[in-house]
Amino acid sequence: MSSNPQRLTIMKPAQEATTGHAAEGSLVLVGVNHTTAPIEVRERLSIPATRLADAVRTLVHLPGIREGLIVSTCNRVEFVTYQDASHGQANANLMRFLHEYFAIPADDVEPHLYEFRDREAIRHLFRVASSLDSMVVGEPQILGQVKESYAVARQVGAVAGTLDPLLQRAFAVAKRVRTETQIGSSSVSIASVAVDLARKIFGSLQGKTVLLVGAGKMSELAARHLIQQGATCILVANRTQEKAALIAGQIADQISMQIANNNPHAIACTTEVIPFEQLHQQAGRADIVITSTGSEQHLFSRAHGQRFLERRRNRPMFFIDIAVPRDVDPGMNEVEGCFVYDIDDLQQVAAAHLADRSRESAAAENIVSAEVEKYQQHLQSLESVPAIVTLQQNAESLRQAELARAEKRLATLTPEQKAAVDALTRSLTAKLLHPQIIDLRKKPE
Amino acid sequence: MTLLWLRLAVLLYGVAALAVLPAALYDRPRWRHLAVPCAVAAALFHFVSLAETLNAAHHRLPVETHEVQSLLALILGLAFLLVYARYRSVSIGIFVLPMAFIFAMLAAFRPGQETFSAPIRTGWIFLHIVLLLAAYGALVVSLLASLLYLIQERRLKSKSARRWLPPLDTPLETIDQIALKMLLFGLPCMTAGLLIGSVIAQEDYGAKYFGDPKILLTFGLWIGYVAMIFIRRASGLRGRRAVYLSSFVILVVLFVWAANQFSAVHRFATP
Repeated sequence: MSSNPQRLTIMKPAQEATTGHAAEGSLVLVGVNHTTAPIEVRERLSIPATRLADAVRTLVHLPGIREGLIVSTCNRVEFVTYQDASHGQANANLMRFLHEYFAIPADDVEPHLYEFRDREAIRHLFRVASSLDSMVVGEPQILGQVKESYAVARQVGAVAGTLDPLLQRAFAVAKRVRTETQIGSSSVSIASVAVDLARKIFGSLQGKTVLLVGAGKMSELAARHLIQQGATCILVANRTQEKAALIAGQIADQISMQIANNNPHAIACTTEVIPFEQLHQQAGRADIVITSTGSEQHLFSRAHGQRFLERRRNRPMFFIDIAVPRDVDPGMNEVEGCFVYDIDDLQQVAAAHLADRSRESAAAENIVSAEVEKYQQHLQSLESVPAIVTLQQNAESLRQAELARAEKRLATLTPEQKAAVDALTRSLTAKLLHPQIIDLRKKPE
Repeated sequence: MTLLWLRLAVLLYGVAALAVLPAALYDRPRWRHLAVPCAVAAALFHFVSLAETLNAAHHRLPVETHEVQSLLALILGLAFLLVYARYRSVSIGIFVLPMAFIFAMLAAFRPGQETFSAPIRTGWIFLHIVLLLAAYGALVVSLLASLLYLIQERRLKSKSARRWLPPLDTPLETIDQIALKMLLFGLPCMTAGLLIGSVIAQEDYGAKYFGDPKILLTFGLWIGYVAMIFIRRASGLRGRRAVYLSSFVILVVLFVWAANQFSAVHRFATP
């Protein structure tokens, strides 16, 4: 179902297109992604957002390139072009652009390149926009990135009659895939799984208190995710008080910066450092506890959980234990109202979600195939328009000629009768042409 | 005129008894601004009524049953007001005000008097039935929500996606809120339903009605309902124990329902 990229070793001249584009132009997609190129190659081809407009402008100024779009993300760099079929050097120019613009020797990049043409290019674009070609299938960022690339290309006038409707359709396909399948419904990163679980327990995280015990990148990331979802109080505890103050300060600074930048997801949030010796007295204040210390012993036992719950009048508590060895006694999960997830549990949930996405991707591929077919038919119907117009014009000329020939014989008719004859011949012509027009729309060749 | 003051007092006790529920049990202190003035006005009308009754009877001590019942109701109403004046607490009103209502109502309505016209009476009976059924319905929904809470809790604790369980996206706290809110909705319905039913019963049967085991069980159910809300709110009871508690009260409801088959004074009409 998926379209495997064709590795480019030698650039071949454009094959005759199967879509009917051949007469005018050909859709060519060339690029590298996480499956074909290592990070060392991808980062050399990567185009920062600030230089994207300039790169697209340069691309469409190449001889033989009519329209162009560049999608540049951390996992892929792709060049979508609509080329003159009559210009045999268009693809060669595109390759030269790659080498010159990025100053990369051909041997370094060509083994990693893939190329899709016409129908397969459409399919690939639909798959990319629908996040079926992403490293994490179903991740939502790619659609936004393709939209941004499209906006830039449109701004510089690099997309028009061919790429514009194609991109619009790609966005519609991506939306359909998201709506009709569960491909993006579950989280697959540890931090977002933790947030999802917290939401399953508490619903809205608005006003919730998060306790961060120890320091660690993943725990800080999870805390930031929780803040974005509405948590309004962050407590930080660390064996080293200075380190705790530093983490609290960093979180506070980041939130202030987001608020200053009018980030719609930024929410006013208070941070507070609590002395490590008071951890067990204060922990009951937190709805969510994220622990990632290097302690050899459990920091929180089952008895602690029972005490916290008593103090909280049985309001649930969620422990996210990212530490290895674990900071929270697994037995605490048996206390009613305490939910304990360690790193393995979170990874297990993430893996299950990933498997769900893989299952859903089959349904998504079907949607993409159907949409590619529909788009092909749409293109074909567009290509048959000139022939249909010619046919209709010829028929109309014949009709007018016949009416003119019979003018003398029809001279005795009243204006109403003449109008009736006119309508009759018009209707007859249309009915005679109808099967041929249908046939032309189906088989434009 | 004496009876009018007393009936007005009964009405005001009823309003106060309903208003005190959110004030005392639901963390809605503003409702005391309705409960307390109603209780004050009720006590005032009640006092006037009792004074007039005793004056008309030419004795100063209440000696008749209705006079004693009326005085007892007044004492209960005043006790509530005194406690409120001293401690600013309305909690005692949850029980005291309905009792004041019942005793005042025993004195205010006499069996066979037909105080209300037939359509009004039908309307009261309809309201009585609807309110009690709403209360029972709320209780059942609350139990179901508590069971869902249990399922969702188990699912989250088991950490593995159990395919045999249907997907349940409602968060635990939301389910808990549904369970509690249903109970909070049901209690005023049950209280109002019982108060209205008491007035109708008093008109038909008099005080003997309240000695029937089915009726006593119904009042027991009301006390159980109040206790359940109090326990849930005080201790934050959820999950398994909330299911046990709700199940117990539902069991009492079933007994009350079944008692309709045996009660001498409160039976379902035969088709």
